[in-house]
Amino acid sequence: MSTRDTAYRSSLGAYLLLLPTLVVVGLFLYYPTLDTLRLSLYKTFLFGQNQEFVGLENFVTLATSDTYLTSVVLTVVFAAVVVVVTMAVGLGVSYLLYVVTSGKAAYMVAAIWPYALPTAIAGTVLLFLAHPSVGIYTYYLESWFGVEFDWFTDGWQAFLVITVAAVWKQVGFNVIFMLAALNNVPKSLNEAIRLDGIGTFRRLFRVYVPLMSPTLVFLLVMNTIYAFFGTFALIDLMTQGGPSNSTNFMIYQLFRDAFQFDNLGLASAQSIILFVVVGALTYVQLRISDQYTHYGA
Amino acid sequence: MAVDTDTDGGTVLGDLSSRVVGAVEERSLLPHVGLTLAILVMASPLLLAFVMSTQTVPEVYDITNLAVGSDGLSNYVEVLTTYGMTQYMINSLVMSIVVTVGKLAVSLLAALALVYYDFRFKNAIFFLILFTLMFPVPVRIVPLYELVAALGWSNTLLALTGPYLASATAVFLLRQHFMSIPVSLVESARLDDIGPITFLYRVLVPMSKGMLTGLGVITFIYSWNQYLWPLIAISDQNKQVVQVGMKYLQSVGNAGQTDWGLIMAGAVLALLPPLLALVAFRGPLLETLGLQS
Repeated sequence: MSTRDTAYRSSLGAYLLLLPTLVVVGLFLYYPTLDTLRLSLYKTFLFGQNQEFVGLENFVTLATSDTYLTSVVLTVVFAAVVVVVTMAVGLGVSYLLYVVTSGKAAYMVAAIWPYALPTAIAGTVLLFLAHPSVGIYTYYLESWFGVEFDWFTDGWQAFLVITVAAVWKQVGFNVIFMLAALNNVPKSLNEAIRLDGIGTFRRLFRVYVPLMSPTLVFLLVMNTIYAFFGTFALIDLMTQGGPSNSTNFMIYQLFRDAFQFDNLGLASAQSIILFVVVGALTYVQLRISDQYTHYGA
Repeated sequence: MAVDTDTDGGTVLGDLSSRVVGAVEERSLLPHVGLTLAILVMASPLLLAFVMSTQTVPEVYDITNLAVGSDGLSNYVEVLTTYGMTQYMINSLVMSIVVTVGKLAVSLLAALALVYYDFRFKNAIFFLILFTLMFPVPVRIVPLYELVAALGWSNTLLALTGPYLASATAVFLLRQHFMSIPVSLVESARLDDIGPITFLYRVLVPMSKGMLTGLGVITFIYSWNQYLWPLIAISDQNKQVVQVGMKYLQSVGNAGQTDWGLIMAGAVLALLPPLLALVAFRGPLLETLGLQS
């Protein structure tokens, strides 16, 4: 008995140990996903009681719907902005954490805590602080910069507020992984760069960023998935997709079609589109690095 | 390196740090100033929310008033006693603990099978579990909702927890961890006629304490912060979790004036459990995420 995986020989025992996982995975993950695929080909009436096979009609409906196409464009722009800003801020903060020599532990907790920040709380707090009539941020923004800040009626301002909330919540996660990547840079390399006299920020982009690239790809993918899926609470609590659909991201349109308009077939088709997005992103990440395969849900 | 010839802003910082070599350089004030600024910006919404949670409605509507309010902690008492916050918090706590304990237990068993047994379809099953990373809730939300309704689970703890009891992440990390434990341990366990379950809780679990704690904190935070699924699965306000409870709180107020102080008190309360979990268990949490502290 020299290898680990023959320690216990009963196949039945192994299947029994795997049973709870397989039941949950089968019942709550595979079955609903496959059923989503089926439902996406149906038109549903009366809360899904009556179903009629319509082939790809739901996808055609989506592809020709101005509302949906606008939502797709907005979501992509939103994801791009969230990813770029989050990673830029994360890189700055993690690099500062990396070079600082005293008080590191305290700084670290103070910089990563938003990892624990519930999206719904980020949304609620900013809804108030940036509220067009009673928000303190709005007050100072308007009195210092002389701008009219009313994101309850201005679409791009609403988009901006949701973006700020989304970034705020996500920076901590990025800092954790970026700092881990920086810590993995061999110490001998640090000595060499230092003696070369390369400036601090030059060092970051010329030396560290290339070395961190597997982590950066992983974060790029995770942040994109977060922007697509994880920001639902912000929209539901702060804008409900408005004003005039300017924050009506794909996940919110899906929610509305499914649970407000009872259009289950059309909603399922949207789920399939989102699945393709996750699939493509995961594929990209695996192609470049399988170092972090496991940090999903 | 031709650092000297550049004239952009980066070079000023570059020159500053390259002039002082070695340890002296790292004592530069720049990182401290930068970090303090970043931390203040990130913390300011919460600090403001906390201050305003102590204010009365007129004090909140006096926008620039940043003094600790005359309401003291009474907004906290009120939101807990009158607006259902106690119930929401209990519901969230029960859900998060059940998901955390259940997910770890279920994943421990799966990892035990995947590492210490040899059986047919092992790799296929492992791949099947890993592949579920591609199925976030929105990808399967309509049938999941219908399934939970068909099972008669609407408005129950089962609906909130059942779909979260298996985890590709936990199975993957535990499997990886078990594979780093010396083979000699399981060999001597076999010689002593120790069965797999006894081996799991007498040897593997104690040897995986750090990883289990880290995974536990990650799962607890993840679970506590859920919003979309509880919103859909639970329609009975008394059974609702605290994140969706924030939505109910939004309408609290008198004579058209929203009681933001009270809502901020609710927000601070709903943030505390995951925040405290992060601070208390930051060591194992960060280590599990790959960061040695």
